[in-house]
Amino acid sequence: MSFLGMGRPQPTSEQKIEAVEAEMLAMASSYNSLQKNCQAKCIPNDFREAELNKGESVCLDRCVSKFLDTTQKVSEIMQQQGQQQGMQQGGSGGLF
Amino acid sequence: MQKRQVQEFMTAFGGLVDHCFVSCVDDFTSKALSTRETGCINRCVLKWMATQQRVSDRFQEHNQNLAQQQANQASR
Repeated sequence: MSFLGMGRPQPTSEQKIEAVEAEMLAMASSYNSLQKNCQAKCIPNDFREAELNKGESVCLDRCVSKFLDTTQKVSEIMQQQGQQQGMQQGGSGGLF
Repeated sequence: MQKRQVQEFMTAFGGLVDHCFVSCVDDFTSKALSTRETGCINRCVLKWMATQQRVSDRFQEHNQNLAQQQANQASR
């Protein structure tokens, strides 16, 4: 019997904080790898100049966009795989 | 939270030192850094910071766009 979601067990504030913390950690780790990867792909290691030149700047902009799109794509594909496996195993599909 | 910020800073600093040392220091015939190496390290640090800034700006823009899209969908 659930009325306005009252029958559902509510997550405690501790669980909520844990979830937010986990999300922040995942976000920070993804951000760090974004920085590292785009630096590696776009900035040559000889350091002839201290400023970003035009080519490097444009490369960085595109790199960020592509990295984030890649993150999105990978997560989509993994979700699809998970759903397919769920359907094969449980028949009813749905939750992992 | 403050502890984590210090940790993050130390990680970033260590990464920067690694990056510039590997990229710039390759001559071990002398104990002191050469002028060429010093110049390279200077440019390396400045460029690293500019790169971080630019990537961070684009990342924020992306997140703002996402939030905007979600807000638009919610209001529809």
